[in-house]
Amino acid sequence: MERALTIAWYDEQNRLTPEELQTVTFPLSRLGRRGYEEERVRGFLRLVHGELVRLVNERASLWQEVQRLRQRILAGAADGDPQAVLFGEADAHIHAVRILSTAQVTADRYVADAQAYSSRVTEEARLRRDHIMQEAQQHSDILLEDAHARAREAAVSALTLPPPPQTDRERQAAQAELAYLRTYGDVYRAHLRAYTEGVLRGIEEWERKEAVSFQEAARGHADQRSIGR
Amino acid sequence: MSRRATCSSICRAIAGAIQRQRRRKAGLLDVVRLRESFARVAMHGDEVPLFFYSDLFIKHPEVRELFPVSMAAQRGHLVDALVKIVSQADKVDDLTAFLQGLGRDHRKFGAVAEHYEAVGASLLATLVHFSGPAWTPELAADWQAAYELIGSVMTAAAAADEQLRPPWWRGTVVAHEQRAFDVSVLLVRPEPRMSYLPGQSVAIESPSRPRLWRYYSMANAPRPDGLLEFHIRLIDGGAVSMALTSSTIADTELRLGPPVGALTLSEPLSGRDLLLVAGSTGLAPLKAILDQVAAVQQPPKVHLFFGARNADGLYDLDSLDKMAAQHPWLTVTPAVSANSTFAGETGSLPDVVTRHGDWSGHDAYLAGPTEMVQETVARLASAGMAPDQIHIEDFGWSEP
Repeated sequence: MERALTIAWYDEQNRLTPEELQTVTFPLSRLGRRGYEEERVRGFLRLVHGELVRLVNERASLWQEVQRLRQRILAGAADGDPQAVLFGEADAHIHAVRILSTAQVTADRYVADAQAYSSRVTEEARLRRDHIMQEAQQHSDILLEDAHARAREAAVSALTLPPPPQTDRERQAAQAELAYLRTYGDVYRAHLRAYTEGVLRGIEEWERKEAVSFQEAARGHADQRSIGR
Repeated sequence: MSRRATCSSICRAIAGAIQRQRRRKAGLLDVVRLRESFARVAMHGDEVPLFFYSDLFIKHPEVRELFPVSMAAQRGHLVDALVKIVSQADKVDDLTAFLQGLGRDHRKFGAVAEHYEAVGASLLATLVHFSGPAWTPELAADWQAAYELIGSVMTAAAAADEQLRPPWWRGTVVAHEQRAFDVSVLLVRPEPRMSYLPGQSVAIESPSRPRLWRYYSMANAPRPDGLLEFHIRLIDGGAVSMALTSSTIADTELRLGPPVGALTLSEPLSGRDLLLVAGSTGLAPLKAILDQVAAVQQPPKVHLFFGARNADGLYDLDSLDKMAAQHPWLTVTPAVSANSTFAGETGSLPDVVTRHGDWSGHDAYLAGPTEMVQETVARLASAGMAPDQIHIEDFGWSEP
């Protein structure tokens, strides 16, 4: 399309076109007279053709750029500030502001996502911890009650009957179980704490890295700026 | 002598700024026109502060590091401040006080006089951008004048503050103790020494969460070794509280802003007995007040209610019980809201406090979750307590 236009423009001016170079023929020299080697001439014409095509296209795009700038000057004059529009600095700045704004909004979203995630994780950990603590509490309550009942039984039977031979072992087993269940709560608490702390450390690391990369990006920007000056 | 001289020169600067403002108000500055212009720009919502900060950071990349990674909250602060300034543009005294506070507050963020010019230029560029064809030379002059005034009041207040104290204190964490699943107690050494009133708070910044500041109250009156105690509750998703309750916090160097807040005992004492109501880590400022009362010659009677969701949350009860055993003027009543098998008081703090009788002859100091504080204040007021007997702080403990 662009090319067709430029060629039409060329035709109008009665100028040499690349097509003419491709189709041009010369009469052969008479036999016995010196002439150019036909293939060499054709090769050279191909070269000239390529160069001509390039020049035509370059010229066309420059013409379009001139038209564009002319229009912008006209529009700028209407706004009362032809210079700013002509040089496009304001446009470039607004463009940069938009890019930075988009980047900032993306960063904000990352941080908000991370915060929502960490919030969910800690909330879940809190609930799980409450649940485990409650279970352990119930367990130890039941066990304690059981132990009390056995103690009462033992006291009664000690008063009435000689103790059966297995009571000691049973009591030891019950005490061992009691001790086990008491530590049960502690151990789970420790596990849960370690788990939560691990998660928090992960989030900290993540945020730290992001802050660092952000600062690097900002520094990169600053460097570019100083080079630009 | 030299301090007085500097002070008076700064006072003159502020007075001059106010005078200039009055002159402008009488002549050049058109408040109605400013408000209309601002309303037009503000229609564009979050786009406006977004444009402002991007413009500022492109023109002055070095300013970027004064702000946190996420700018979402920051944009809200900027718009809030602008709305306040524009809506109070004709109330010079209120506005001046607000701007002076803002100027002092910005010292800890590292704001210096040169930044004000950069901010002014970006503010103007933002207004131009969003005003479109509505922008006129008269508006430009109005805004320019308004911003010059804002900047001069803020910088004058900051300069006056500079004579009195540093922009922030270095605070080394010398001890960290996890008291409950989600509550830690920190002992911090400020450098230089910090003087403050019991009940006041400081903004804290942790190095792992740069440029994020949260208010926490000192939990002790100033003591000979200068250490500050802070009670930190881990809030789900709370960036700063998470950093401060981390097990790696020991030896960390925090930054502390200047002490602020008015949850302090009246001087001299009113002579009335004290009612202290603390929900969770809202205990901190009230414990500092207890410290202060303990040092008084003839202390008033003090009744402290300390509430939490469950017995685990009563993270400082041991030390409070010790204080109560030591001081006959002190009564401590712990209360738990979510566990009916607790041996002491159960139910919400407002309920428990109200159940304990008539407090109308007391001075009340309350701190803790906003809802609890508001509900208790409402109950005390309806039971006949005068507003000037009720003391609360409206920030700090509910912030993540």
